[in-house]
Amino acid sequence: MNPILEFKDVSLISTKTSRLQKINFSVWSHEKVALIGKSGAGKTTLIKIANGTIKPTKGTIRLKGVEINQVKRKARSCIGTIWQDLRLIEELTVAQNINAGALSKHSFLWAIRNIFGLVNVDLCKRYLELVELPPEIINLRVDMLSGGQQQRVAIARLIRQSPELLLADEPISNLDPELVKKILSLLLQSKKIKNFKIPSTSIISLHRPEFIKDFSRVIGLKNGTVLFDLPTSEVHNYLLKSLYE
Amino acid sequence: MLKKINLAPQIICFLPIVAIIPIGKDIFLDFHSGGINTLYKFFSSALFPSFDYLVIENSINGIKVTLSIAFIGWIISIINGLFLGLICSDIFYKTFNTPKIIHKIIKCLLAIPRGIHELIWGLLLLQVFGLTTWVAILAISIPYSALMARVFADQIDALGTRKIYALKSSGAGSLEALITALMPKLFPIIISHSAYRLECAIRGATLLGVFGLGGIGTELQLSIQSLQFKEVWTSLWILGIVVFTLEEIIKLAQNSFQSSINIRSTSIILCSTLFFLLCFSFTYLKSIDIGLAFNFIPVTLSHKSHFIAALKDLEIIRLSLESINMMLLASGLAIGAPPLICLLLPGEFSRKVISIIWLVLRLVPIPLLAILFLLFINPSISVAALALGIHNMGIMGKILLDTVNNTDDRISLAIKASGGNERVAWLYGKLSPKSIAYLSYSLYRADIILRETAVVGVVGGVGLGWQLQESLTSFAWAEVIIVVSTFVLLTMIGELISEKLKSNLKNDSLSLKAV
Repeated sequence: MNPILEFKDVSLISTKTSRLQKINFSVWSHEKVALIGKSGAGKTTLIKIANGTIKPTKGTIRLKGVEINQVKRKARSCIGTIWQDLRLIEELTVAQNINAGALSKHSFLWAIRNIFGLVNVDLCKRYLELVELPPEIINLRVDMLSGGQQQRVAIARLIRQSPELLLADEPISNLDPELVKKILSLLLQSKKIKNFKIPSTSIISLHRPEFIKDFSRVIGLKNGTVLFDLPTSEVHNYLLKSLYE
Repeated sequence: MLKKINLAPQIICFLPIVAIIPIGKDIFLDFHSGGINTLYKFFSSALFPSFDYLVIENSINGIKVTLSIAFIGWIISIINGLFLGLICSDIFYKTFNTPKIIHKIIKCLLAIPRGIHELIWGLLLLQVFGLTTWVAILAISIPYSALMARVFADQIDALGTRKIYALKSSGAGSLEALITALMPKLFPIIISHSAYRLECAIRGATLLGVFGLGGIGTELQLSIQSLQFKEVWTSLWILGIVVFTLEEIIKLAQNSFQSSINIRSTSIILCSTLFFLLCFSFTYLKSIDIGLAFNFIPVTLSHKSHFIAALKDLEIIRLSLESINMMLLASGLAIGAPPLICLLLPGEFSRKVISIIWLVLRLVPIPLLAILFLLFINPSISVAALALGIHNMGIMGKILLDTVNNTDDRISLAIKASGGNERVAWLYGKLSPKSIAYLSYSLYRADIILRETAVVGVVGGVGLGWQLQESLTSFAWAEVIIVVSTFVLLTMIGELISEKLKSNLKNDSLSLKAV
């Protein structure tokens, strides 16, 4: 059986983003991987390469055994990303933003209808309920919400996409501790909640290592290279210290 | 020795007014008193326009024709501009992975219709299709489509690709991603720029009327030629009231759209309005039997030898230099005068009076202003520049007041509270925060003024515009092609220079190197 995601000798030489050197790892179904490292270690770059928005200078990335460049457009919807800057469309309402997660499943006409606010409002309310947001905000413009609420709308959009693999770039930075717990427990679910499919496999980058205990595996990045790739139980303090010094 | 002088942008706003020195000198030397009496009659008629029923009826009918032409031309250009703007934008080829070269070719080709003024389009199409209303409609829609395409392409590119890539990474199709990520942001920009273009289209349709293509322009031209100034002012006042009312309706609509930008309801309102305008315009033009049919008149293409002979005969360098000189003088006046006038007359009442004067100045077509000046000044480049500059001053003045009125009052209130007078408060609190925006727009306006030199040239006997009129009336097609190509080349160079200057303006101040 193929891994869901496979990085083989992946390098990126760029002046604009963090550099990556010879990254090798595979992520298997139902794994929960924490990607940790200091700022500038290459976590965001790695996530962007994994979802195909940045092309590496060298090496290959395979999604379920198929090279990522050859993966058909619709098949790409099996990867869902929560971006560090969320990338919600500020001028659209909460419902329209949640529906944007389902663009891969629908036609151009549906996309137009969504812009006009005419599709699946009731379904979107159920997604809101899932991420513990009140249904009253469904028709509010997303830029009128607080940072934490926007974060949860981004998660609702991701769940609407129903991907198999979740890539999340620091989804808990700038959130209060209570919310961090809620969001992590939602993202790390492996079963369906209220008939909604939560991604079974995830790679989540974290700025701080306090939350790695919730994950099954940890990849430590330092200066664009993998310093360690271990099950969480084997990640000792000295390793974390060397990563952040 | 090179010394760097730092000039604050608010100071640079005033500098172009030095153009008044050479213009003033020439006017002083070329002044003649022969037409003073006529000029007095012209201005006094402003207070006592004709209330004759027939004159009013003719003016209103003229305005209906002008508005119909402007509406149809404007709606066609919005549709074309949006489509062309999208395929010209960098985002388009990045999203669809289309070859960059095709997109570059389309972008370059659009510089040609953009570089030719609507009047020149009108004169050229008149030769090909004869006297039909479509000539006026096409003369407006061709350059405006290209102008709008450029503006929309720039605005689309300014929005960036991050959100499109985010949607595409989740499996969304390119078109779906583009629509979802861009449309909500682009919508207010489309509304705002299209509203501005409507006023331009009305001015363009009026100008085309002056050259015989019907509407209020033709009424104005006939009245001024027969020195019936009271009739001229009847038409001008009615035109002023209509444009002012339209401007206010547009402002109100824009404000309500901005406060609650619901794409669905806004689209429904806008589409129905545009549909109504289109129906009204076509029905009206058809009802007065103004001629909507195309009559193609074949044009004999010139032989290679004609081009060689034309190149020898035409003093293209001298004519180009005259046009550039005219553009520099007119731009100086148009850009430098409004901030200076606002600084000298800071009161609320004087601002209202200035606004009305600026409205009249931008409504009087440039050729008619030139004819008025020729009543008491001998023809020269300066007279042409004065007409061009004063007309554009009306436009720049409106832009300045609109921009400045949107500025936060806090700084000027703080200055007044600390004892500063009205002028200082305006300079520091109102003009300073918006000076870079004003200068950026001024550069764009200078490009337009370069195109408009064709209009005064036709009347005033100077520059490429005059040569074009001469060549057109003698059916010298080789000369026409050379002159039009020179115009396109000049405007393309002008655009490149203004783009460069605009990127420099992004800094807070400009540095000029001086010896």
